[in-house]
Amino acid sequence: MDFDSPEEKEFPGLYASEAADAKSKKSKEESDFSEDHEHSKKDLLIGRRKDKKDKGKDRGYAALGGESSPEEELDTKSPSKSKKSKTFKFTSSKSKEKREKSRDKSEKEAKHPEEDPPPAPKAKDKKADKKDKKDKKSKQLSQQQDEASAAEEVLALGYPVFGVSVSLAIERSRCHDGVDIPLVVRDCIDYLQDHLKCEQIYKIEPIKTRLMHYKRLYNNREHDSAVDELNLPTACSLLKLFLRELPEPLLTTDLVARFEQVASHSKVTKQQAELQQLLEQLPKCNRTLLAWVLLHFEAVIQQERYNKLNAQSLAMLLSPTLQMSHRLMVALLCHCSTLFADVKLIKYVPPLTSASPNFPDTREDIQKELSKQDSLLSQIHSEMNAGFITKKREEQLWEVQRIITQLKRKLRTFEKKQEKSVDELDNSSSAPPTVASEDTTDSKPTVAPVDSTSNSISLEEPKAEARLSKQPPIEFSIDPGTGFILLPKSNPHRENLLRLQIEYDELMDWQNELKARIVAERKEVHRLKQLYEQQSINSQMAALAVESQAPPESDYERIIEHYTRENALLEHKKNMLGMELKEERRACIALQVELRLQQF
Amino acid sequence: MSKKPTAGPALHKVIMVGSGGVGKSALTLQFMYDEFVEDYEPTKADSYRKKVVLDGEEVQIDILDTAGQEDYAAIRDNYFRSGEGFLCVFSITDDESFQATQEFREQILRVKNDESIPFLLVGNKCDLNDKRKVPLSECQLRAQQWAVPYVETSAKTRENVDKVFFDLMREIRSRKTEDSKATSGRAKDRCKKRRLKCTLL
Repeated sequence: MDFDSPEEKEFPGLYASEAADAKSKKSKEESDFSEDHEHSKKDLLIGRRKDKKDKGKDRGYAALGGESSPEEELDTKSPSKSKKSKTFKFTSSKSKEKREKSRDKSEKEAKHPEEDPPPAPKAKDKKADKKDKKDKKSKQLSQQQDEASAAEEVLALGYPVFGVSVSLAIERSRCHDGVDIPLVVRDCIDYLQDHLKCEQIYKIEPIKTRLMHYKRLYNNREHDSAVDELNLPTACSLLKLFLRELPEPLLTTDLVARFEQVASHSKVTKQQAELQQLLEQLPKCNRTLLAWVLLHFEAVIQQERYNKLNAQSLAMLLSPTLQMSHRLMVALLCHCSTLFADVKLIKYVPPLTSASPNFPDTREDIQKELSKQDSLLSQIHSEMNAGFITKKREEQLWEVQRIITQLKRKLRTFEKKQEKSVDELDNSSSAPPTVASEDTTDSKPTVAPVDSTSNSISLEEPKAEARLSKQPPIEFSIDPGTGFILLPKSNPHRENLLRLQIEYDELMDWQNELKARIVAERKEVHRLKQLYEQQSINSQMAALAVESQAPPESDYERIIEHYTRENALLEHKKNMLGMELKEERRACIALQVELRLQQF
Repeated sequence: MSKKPTAGPALHKVIMVGSGGVGKSALTLQFMYDEFVEDYEPTKADSYRKKVVLDGEEVQIDILDTAGQEDYAAIRDNYFRSGEGFLCVFSITDDESFQATQEFREQILRVKNDESIPFLLVGNKCDLNDKRKVPLSECQLRAQQWAVPYVETSAKTRENVDKVFFDLMREIRSRKTEDSKATSGRAKDRCKKRRLKCTLL
């Protein structure tokens, strides 16, 4: 933030070249870096060291301005020279707008010579350039952005979260509750979801140093939500910054053109299906992130009454950030609740720290917390293995480990209590523990409705078997044909166990059959939909012709009434028959079980 | 290594190492909660913190109970690096666990890069003396070679359980004061070198 000096305003071009330069360099580095990451952890380590070194250079370069190391001078000498002369010329003219323009121009010129040698960053740079310009048009952000990328070189350390691919960002900035979006995005959305009615949302820019401060916190994983609370402009801009710095559009370079194509369709119904289809082709992490961002935006426009933002205006503000057209963003916003019906915005509760006073008390909560802590622990381990070691990290490692141990102990006491109660139950029924527990688990579900029966049994049965196989005193053999566990003939539970196993088998068959039928029905639905779409075009044509011959109004009503009544009746009959069918099937299975039991 | 003054009582970080099933968790739980667990459940990693009074001074001890199995060797380094003292446990009824201590010792020295790291060789299950497979003399010889104390414990009877933890804490404490006294790096190096020679003999 040494770059905030007033000189910047007097000589706007002075740092612009460096900023642009640093930017292009950065994108190169990071693509290298992420490739490294995919190879192996060792490579990653090397990549990081290299990364660090390069960053150091950048920093030196940015700070020293013209006096750069020889190798860098080779690439950048000409642009920075041409640039300086130009900017000096323009600074003499006092018009602010002109200055903006000149910077734009000089930035472009500065980039030209570099764009030639490396082919990969070229595309990215161009895009970034374009995007930048769009932003300037809409928000006049240029100066801030340039400063931002210059300051970044000082801030970023080791593994950044900003400016890397979505999957990398998720890996480095993980939400530990199983939602795979980067933590920084989650925190911003969580904050903004609480402030939807605020009129300033997405309209006010934060203090730049504050924004950069948060970026650094997240890049270095030093963010502590308890201490560093976001504010509205920062949350908006941090989210935008993250999205803007993604090396690839969120909709991916491969698919973005097809998305745009679909968005230019006029037919709304068709649009939705096609968008859905395209969304399924996106990498999972991109889809999830897109879902969260769009659902949040939708929530914003639902509060239009308060924040004065509707789909059109919000898309105007944010479509450049998402690297998509205004039209596409409006289309996505319009369909997003159906497109992402499977996604829900859930506020993030970070893993406990030893500072947080209340440990969870119920079994479920403990288990949930435990899985969060496990996720956190494995992230710490993998980062440490890759060389991301700080004193703070080490302390965190011990702390997380301690919390896990505490949670596990607590869970164990729960289990012990439960075991005790089960033991008591067993004693009262005076049956050997293994089979008794099996009885209790299995007799219940068979009475329950059909769908849940098959599921719950399939879950319970293997457990029961496993428990059985653990008990050494009970001898058993496994039937080679069916895989059933056979107890010796003398055992009183032989028949019972066999019966349950056969029943399980039969129910599984039924489940599979039903699943197959569901698939078939879905196919039929799909086929009919297509047919309908075809027909609807035809019928629109036909409708005009038929209209003249239509019967009088009262007839219509009578006919409609007749059919609705008839349909309701049929629906009821169908349901009854369905129930009967289920009953019959169950009886069938019972008989089947008896029949097969005879074989043993 | 020096403690931050803000952290309150001094904190000593102890790590339990040794083969699977030798009683690392049993020792830890006995020390922490005065309980003896009969049934064996492999540990992945567990960590505990306890306030104790060490020679009249209130201190905190962090105990990290590690996995004996090789499967978790990858995460072991991360823990070893932050450990200040080590209890290297084996079972006196199991010769292989005794042989394995050599490897653990090497791994610790490799990670810590320090021959004089506070370290105790602990022969557990001394209540099962009738099933002893590792002769006492052999244990003592190895401890002598490494220039570390040797203590026999029983997690079951609680024999020497407190002793090993407190002895180790004392070593860690004296090591810390030594370190803060030896302001120049050279003094530390010399100390290390001297130790090295000892082990070579």
